Amino acid sequence: MSDLKSRLPDEVKHILGRMVDASGRERLLISLGSFVLALVAGALLLLVSGAFASCESPVFGLGGLQFCYNPIEVYSVMLNGAVGSPYSLGLTLRETTLLILAGVAVAVTFQAGIFNIGTQGQFIFGGLAGAAVVHYTADLLPANVVGGGGLFALGMMAAALIGALYGALPGILLAYYDANEVITTIMLNFIATAVAFTIVRSFLREGAAVQTTLIPDYATPPAIIFPSASSFSILILVPTLLIAVGAHYLLNNSPLGYNIRVSGEQPTAAEYSGVDSKQVIVRTFTLSGVIGGLAGGVFVFMVLGYWQPSVPQVGFDGITVSVLAANNPLGVIPAAALFGILQSGSVALDLQLGVPRQLAGVLRGIIILFVAMPEFMRMIGRRLGLGESSATSAVTGTEANDD
Amino acid sequence: MTHSVELTDIRKTFPGVVANDDVSLSVNKGEVHVILGENGAGKSTLMNILYGLYQPDGGTIRIDGEEKEFESPQDAINEGIGMIHQHFKLVGPMTITENIILGSEPKKSLGMSVDMETARREVKELSERYGFDINPEDAVEDVSVGVRQRVEILRALYRGADILILDEPTAVLTPDEIESLFVVFDELIEQGKTIIFITHKLDEVMSVADDISVLRDGKRITTIPAEEATNNRLAELMVGDEVLLELDRDPHPKGEELLRVDDLQIEGDDATLVDDVTLSVREGEVLGIAGVDGNGQTVLSDAIAGLIELDDGSVTFDGEDATEWGRNRLNDAGLSYIPPDRQEQGLVMNFDHGENVILGEQHTFPIGRRMRDDELAEEIVAEYDVKTSGVETSVKSLSGGNQQKLLVGRELERDPKLVIASNPTRGLDVGSIEFIHEQLLSARRNDRGVLLISSKLDELQQLSDRIAVIYEGEIIDTVDPETVTERELGLLMAGQELVTEETDSVSNENTLQAKRIEDENK
Amino acid sequence: MIEDMNLTRIENTTLTRRRIGLLALAIVAVVALLVSPYRDGITSIVNVGFFNTALVLSVPITLAGIGGLYSEKSGVINIGIEGFLIAGAFTSVLVTGATAGSLGADNAVWLGLLAAVVVGSVGALVFGVVCIRYKADQVIAGLAVWFIFLGLAPFLSRVYWGNINSPTVATFNQVAIPILSDIPWIGRLLFTNYPTTYIMLIVVPVAWYVLKHTSFGMWVRASGEHPESLDTAGINVNRVRYVSIMISGALSGIGGAALTLSTVGQFIGQGQTIVGGDGFIGIVAYLMGNYNPLGTFAAALLFAGLDALQLRLQQIGLDIAPELFGAVPYVAVIIVLVLFGYTRIPANAGENYESGDD
Repeated sequence: MSDLKSRLPDEVKHILGRMVDASGRERLLISLGSFVLALVAGALLLLVSGAFASCESPVFGLGGLQFCYNPIEVYSVMLNGAVGSPYSLGLTLRETTLLILAGVAVAVTFQAGIFNIGTQGQFIFGGLAGAAVVHYTADLLPANVVGGGGLFALGMMAAALIGALYGALPGILLAYYDANEVITTIMLNFIATAVAFTIVRSFLREGAAVQTTLIPDYATPPAIIFPSASSFSILILVPTLLIAVGAHYLLNNSPLGYNIRVSGEQPTAAEYSGVDSKQVIVRTFTLSGVIGGLAGGVFVFMVLGYWQPSVPQVGFDGITVSVLAANNPLGVIPAAALFGILQSGSVALDLQLGVPRQLAGVLRGIIILFVAMPEFMRMIGRRLGLGESSATSAVTGTEANDD
Repeated sequence: MTHSVELTDIRKTFPGVVANDDVSLSVNKGEVHVILGENGAGKSTLMNILYGLYQPDGGTIRIDGEEKEFESPQDAINEGIGMIHQHFKLVGPMTITENIILGSEPKKSLGMSVDMETARREVKELSERYGFDINPEDAVEDVSVGVRQRVEILRALYRGADILILDEPTAVLTPDEIESLFVVFDELIEQGKTIIFITHKLDEVMSVADDISVLRDGKRITTIPAEEATNNRLAELMVGDEVLLELDRDPHPKGEELLRVDDLQIEGDDATLVDDVTLSVREGEVLGIAGVDGNGQTVLSDAIAGLIELDDGSVTFDGEDATEWGRNRLNDAGLSYIPPDRQEQGLVMNFDHGENVILGEQHTFPIGRRMRDDELAEEIVAEYDVKTSGVETSVKSLSGGNQQKLLVGRELERDPKLVIASNPTRGLDVGSIEFIHEQLLSARRNDRGVLLISSKLDELQQLSDRIAVIYEGEIIDTVDPETVTERELGLLMAGQELVTEETDSVSNENTLQAKRIEDENK
Repeated sequence: MIEDMNLTRIENTTLTRRRIGLLALAIVAVVALLVSPYRDGITSIVNVGFFNTALVLSVPITLAGIGGLYSEKSGVINIGIEGFLIAGAFTSVLVTGATAGSLGADNAVWLGLLAAVVVGSVGALVFGVVCIRYKADQVIAGLAVWFIFLGLAPFLSRVYWGNINSPTVATFNQVAIPILSDIPWIGRLLFTNYPTTYIMLIVVPVAWYVLKHTSFGMWVRASGEHPESLDTAGINVNRVRYVSIMISGALSGIGGAALTLSTVGQFIGQGQTIVGGDGFIGIVAYLMGNYNPLGTFAAALLFAGLDALQLRLQQIGLDIAPELFGAVPYVAVIIVLVLFGYTRIPANAGENYESGDD
């Protein structure tokens, strides 16, 4: 540690130190630091678990133990697998697109001080709604670009609508029945999985496997620039970015956005200022549900091409992305990109090195854990010699309370 | 006689503040020693040091002549010191017995479990010895504030305290309860205890003190025996050469009736929170509402401001029936509200000035406009003398006084017809208090109506044209601030009605008064 | 102050009314079913075997719930108990599988259980440090704990076994307690069971007694309600909290081991893993049980009973979409939350406490 400290040029230390003082920049540093620390923790995990894995050619041996995974190699394979070729970059951007939507969906509710874990459920039902539209209307529309566009539009609308309804539900339960949203949304995720499975098995099944009709090619968003094998279309990424920007705009330029933020910061102040908190809760949840449902629609139309029960945990990743972005919709974009690299890199990792792709899931948790404890990150920052003055700025608000 | 407590050159600094500036103090055994001083004089800091909660930067503590060092309250407790804090440290859902024995529980079954039988008996005995009428089985949250204070005292006694520190014990009590607390003091002294009693209320001092030490700006000014003290002398010592400005409250012609509340009723689950309240405020008038905290003032002001639905009654604002309007519409119609808690309600601590000045107005913003108003913020900062490092810093960084100025500025800059000000100067320094008083009076001069809710009698008397007294949710009387005495107000706040002749002459034009007499005749 | 208290009381009485209403409703429903023409059908489904299954299924829920209850009572909301259940389930299979060869199956399962307790406690200690020492947001940190174990267990499964699910390992045998197990019905229900079930049956009353009648229990309650009162009484608040959090980790460890080492003998890492939300159901169980270990157990039995019913219906060949029926306990959780609203949570749960100077 002290080594690193002395190696940091004074100039950089000074600049970084000033950045630590400003609270917004501090958040940025905390997020970046958490990401880096999670990678370090992941490296340790890889080292240790490598001793228990069985492999043909261990990376190195130490006192009779054989270590299968070399963290540096793992991370470089991940990075390479994420951005090394147009194909892999397409995969990463595909993940990023989903993560931006899920991240924004979570961020708007977290801004309102609502711990909404339900994006996963809205993602599941949104995707299923899109697939159901294809199942029932594909034959009614012409099999060309126009019909495809119509099918896509209908499917996405259904995804948004179902997402909105399934999002509004925990909102209503919280606002009018005081049912804790953390629990209800987690339960609704489980229920969504079960109900969706049953619906597909009983009504939408196509062939032997429990999965829905394939979406026709003409309704799939076209792959431009990137190879079609990566199932990514820039035509989807652009509106997705607009949604993130739009959410940011909404939070800062509309009464609802202001009310969301006041409710999140200080519910009593919201009440004092005439905010109907029940209404804000339901609207925020609904808005979040729309975006979560759209993520499901994108998953079905752009990524998978049909719907089947074991969908990835995009909704949970959305929580990580949002927390990493300090619940700022604009911050969600880089956070989603970082996490997208991790996700698509972990797939490459699995295929190339046999390191389980579940590593990304572990890192997801560790990142949140670090972001959740800014005190710890500040301590690390001080140890590294950054922002010494941030310690003093913390006490300026404290006044001798003598009454 | 040995000194029970002897503090020598105690020094304590907080960032930017010298809370205790080499304070020395001796307390005689078996006496009531009053420590008198204004808010911020350093009284609580000094006592927290004696109780081991703070560590002094310098100085020594002697107990019964022996030098001690207290690193935690446990050390102080071991030396027989007990402290009754202003904010009680009791666990609401637990019983009185459980609260008293917490941390020193008697054990049974080889130390496996708490011996509740013994505990109850000990608590019963202890409370009988001091003549306390309590039921050890009651949950603390179900008993009155006065009883809770007794539980705190018993808690200290149970731990073997010989020296009791009481930090502003009367702040939360009604005059009745204060009387009986002083009876408890006598009882304690008789049993050989020593009492250190912190207060800033002059009138209490004389009746109980043996010795009085006056603190000002972190220094001990003097210690005098109670016999030698007079109210005037103590006030001089406390305030120093500070000159209290006389406020300019000229008689001012009253205009049209702005606010009229009829038979307002708010029900809680098992108590009526506001009971049949009728009042009115006219243009250019300040109506004060006096009462001990927790008698329904907050519910009343919230209801008038449109935050709570009425169970019965009506609110008329500026000639229109506003009962069903709700906060936003009332705000638009010109009713501003300075809420009792600036840090929880009135301001959003993590928002900057520009965002805070639109709080309450946000519903008037069209979609697409930035949800802030920096120009307005600059204006308020300049006009209301808010000391800040910039309108784009969060209001968390402001001192309490400057936060309140920003809040008051926001509510008055809306150019309201009427402003409800609920405890607008609580916890502020003298300068800010005067500034805010001046602002409220200037609103009055400009023909605004002011509904001032306060627990400070001097504030009410200085600002109000009429004072209504609320007790247990009811307006029990309305009096003229010019003629009413503090004692009379105190009695009313404790729920005792005055003899009719005294108040009859005060407010003949007052319909409320007539109503009260009417009620009495029923 | 007084006004605040009135508001609390409003909540409490409506809750009691709701509770009485719910109870009455349940009794009416049961009586109606028992006098209805379906009587015979019902008794053939709801037999001793059904209750036995329900009891076994209630073990992880109850233990996680009581653990979470202690943690929250002391002032630290532990959303992460789902994660500790996963940790316990995985560790117990790992250790049992690894040691069965050298120690013999009977010893290995006990070692597996012990390992689950150790991992749960140590994990909880880390969670405690994160929440108390580093003042983390407890809900977010709890989510992180869940996510970490939700990722870590399948990751390690694949590293160690090469598969996301473990192979089958040795399990606990049902132990019939002499004499007591001969009592008709009750003997089969309560006294012919897995060791983990017995542990739960002991933990429930002990947890109740400790909370209600011991010094530690008083400190736990005071720590979550008004930590300053405890601090000024000379008791270290954070020490009480650490111990409570570790209790929640240890009990969740046992709960997780009960999931795998009783009956299944396998760790399943797919989806939400074998734990599948039992930790969250445990949280609802203690809310519904109003922070009383006995009530928590009763609520856990209710949820487990619904699960057992689903299994039983499948057993007798009634194929009504098992996945859908599997969601019944989750639906029940939401209904319970709606009916019970938010119970009176400890006043200082979720708040960090710092004593002394500044």
